Amino acid sequence: MHEPELHDLSDDADYAASIQQGSASISQNESRRQSTSNEPDGAEIVYTKDNVTIHPTQYASERISGRLKLIKQGNALFMTWIPYKGQTSNARLSEKDKNLYTIRAVPFTDIRSIRRHTPTLGWQYIIVVMSSGLAFPPLYFYNGGVREFLVTIKQHVSLVRSAEDANVFLVNDFQSPLQRTLSSLELPRAVPVANVSSSTADHSPSSADIERLESDKSSASFNQNSRQRQKNHDPARDLSIQVLEKFSLVTRFARETTSQLFRESHLIDGFNPNEGKKHGQSSASYNHIQSSIDSPKYHDEVSVPSDPIEFDKISLVWGKPRQSPLGQQEWATFLDAEGRVMDSKALIKRIFYGGLEHNLRKEVWTFLLGYHAYDSTYAERDYLMSVKKTEYDTIKKQWQSISPEQAKRFTKFRERKGLIDKDVVRTDRSLSFYDGDDNPNVYLLRDILLTYSFYNFDLGYCQGMSDLLSPILYVMRDESKSFWCFVSLMERLGPNFNRDQSGMHSQLFALSKLVELLDLPLHDYFKQNDCLNYFFCFRWILIQFKREFEYDKTLLLWEVLWTHYLSEHLHLYVCVAILKRYRNKIMGEQMDFDTLLKFINELSGQIDLDATLREAEALCICAGENGEASIPPGTPPSLPLEDASVYPQLDDDVL
Amino acid sequence: MASSGNKNINAKLVLLGDVATGKSSLVLRFVKGQFVEFQESTIGAAFFSQTVAVNDATVKFEIWDTAGQERYHSLAPMYYRGAAAAIIVYDITNQASFDRAKKWVQELQAQGNPNMVMALAGNKSDLLDARKVAAEEAQTYAQENGLFFMETSAKTATNVNDVFYEIAKRLPRLQQAPNPSGMVLVDRPADRATGASCCS
Repeated sequence: MHEPELHDLSDDADYAASIQQGSASISQNESRRQSTSNEPDGAEIVYTKDNVTIHPTQYASERISGRLKLIKQGNALFMTWIPYKGQTSNARLSEKDKNLYTIRAVPFTDIRSIRRHTPTLGWQYIIVVMSSGLAFPPLYFYNGGVREFLVTIKQHVSLVRSAEDANVFLVNDFQSPLQRTLSSLELPRAVPVANVSSSTADHSPSSADIERLESDKSSASFNQNSRQRQKNHDPARDLSIQVLEKFSLVTRFARETTSQLFRESHLIDGFNPNEGKKHGQSSASYNHIQSSIDSPKYHDEVSVPSDPIEFDKISLVWGKPRQSPLGQQEWATFLDAEGRVMDSKALIKRIFYGGLEHNLRKEVWTFLLGYHAYDSTYAERDYLMSVKKTEYDTIKKQWQSISPEQAKRFTKFRERKGLIDKDVVRTDRSLSFYDGDDNPNVYLLRDILLTYSFYNFDLGYCQGMSDLLSPILYVMRDESKSFWCFVSLMERLGPNFNRDQSGMHSQLFALSKLVELLDLPLHDYFKQNDCLNYFFCFRWILIQFKREFEYDKTLLLWEVLWTHYLSEHLHLYVCVAILKRYRNKIMGEQMDFDTLLKFINELSGQIDLDATLREAEALCICAGENGEASIPPGTPPSLPLEDASVYPQLDDDVL
Repeated sequence: MASSGNKNINAKLVLLGDVATGKSSLVLRFVKGQFVEFQESTIGAAFFSQTVAVNDATVKFEIWDTAGQERYHSLAPMYYRGAAAAIIVYDITNQASFDRAKKWVQELQAQGNPNMVMALAGNKSDLLDARKVAAEEAQTYAQENGLFFMETSAKTATNVNDVFYEIAKRLPRLQQAPNPSGMVLVDRPADRATGASCCS
């Protein structure tokens, strides 16, 4: 495992506390076992393990320790993992952050498999994979006990070791084909977010049971914890209400307009949304509504839960109007005589609202990506570039010097190169910059990607990277500069390509939290339709909407995202904005997961970028602190704050 | 699972196989009749549907097209879960892709729906000069493992519709009278002679 973990332990508050708690936990467990096994309602804790910890990022200070339990009620087995309260010295980790990860009473019927990892150095951990395909973050067993955990599960539910991989244990993997078919058809599918208490209420031990079990604890922290849990759900509701209030005028206005439109559409054939908009604006002055306006028949043809911010019917757009792109002349005013950016905040804001004229991108992207410092001079930048050029050539030589004979004995290299060769010839080939036979730019793409896969050998090459590099090379037109800008971008987006999908999971998880916050009816719809894994947004997030917009629009979107002006995670608000834009269609047509994925994929090229950015901006402002609190710390593209040298390698599979 | 309504059935089908074997190209040829020389890589997954008529029944295929890279393997069960059929695609000019296809077959046999109709497609059959995998070898493997096998070319359209048509014919629903109770647990048909043609 990672080097830092070994020496981090001494000053890790969680760990220090764990040593005391850990030794006590066994006897505690024993005594509780006796006391609870006589519970009349049959909810029984069959396994408890303290100091089971998640590592949201690779930094010791951001780890969250908690107690893992298996609870049996009737024939059903549930797993919970509740973080300890108030044991961390790290201010960055709020209770909210901890609660994000809390696992409350997940029934084993929702669990697909458990993967055990037993690294030679460091702690054993497990990854619990839900039927939906999503997984909880790895749970590290600081006090050991993975085997005992699995043995206990096996006593209560069907647990079979996978024939493929001895470290994978399949839950509910029925041998009988009939049973298996039935289970795949009928098992309630998992809600893939950690906070599943509400969704599994029917199957869970009653909250009273859990409360009672937890009140057995001598430690008062668990009572606080349950209080905290009560509170935990509230911010979302509070915010929904806040949003409602903030937009109440507008909502009224929107509804009024909608209902007007529908009244009119009964009279005249069809309606023109623009006319409606005009009409709405002119009638915005009166702000009382008749109660009949709220009646569903005026609302929409299909009864869709109403949204405080109506996007579909009327193209009302929030957020400040987009500005024209920053041009050469204005750019010059940002620089002092030696080339330093004098007011980087103003620059960032300017780019956020307007983007850049194309000919400026080559220069300004290097700042946005963090390759050049804003306070560097022309001379410093030139010097850095020449040093970096040499460095690039050195890394490139590493693979260039591999002889055919050596390559024969270097499978990983051949595979990697083969994969890159296959992908570069199908990346943006319709663009004149990359089209035609033997296009040198295609070879540049290959060389840079292959060099990157040596620069970051642990991460390697992954499908999607060529999409991220293509616009950079198109803008920079320089091999070494493109490489280093790509390196900077991958500092942030690299986790998107982690083998265990942890970077993607944390973003999809944050997205689900944001939708819950900003559009509860839509969230509920996704929940009812088993769409909470948000997998239909996978492509959007993995390659930053590269396939969703025309090429030049993508360039604009990227520079806006890279400013991190309102949030490092504006891309998630962009997701919410697009989903909200189509919410009535999604819900009105009762799209299931498959249809939704097809619909979202086919939105490619259809999305209005300017309007989407304005909506994303408004949603981001609207969500405010509650929005940021919905995003777990370390969620890409957040930059790691500490030692950046560690690249988490959770799997040992090839490639 | 295939589900019926008066011999109009829906069948979920998943395409699996190594990187750049032509999974997306096969689907686009089948669904849209198109072929793009440099079909971009699939990120995440794509979903298509297309209907074929078999005798007096119609089968609406709901097709999941997946990303080929091993890195995304952990997402695969989400797609093949509940699939009535699978096409495992390899590239006849690439031995490694054939090896990978065998791994997919193993995984589906271990994890997938036991009644799943599986087809093995050796794609890029137009590139005969670059062939690395003999049709006989694939045919033998397919027979041993209860798959039906065809060599296809998304580029020339050879055998593309045929693969889907042969799958449709083999769906358990169409093998016997419609069963209103909803659960049909029969083995795949033993006779695969008609599907065993290949273009060479």
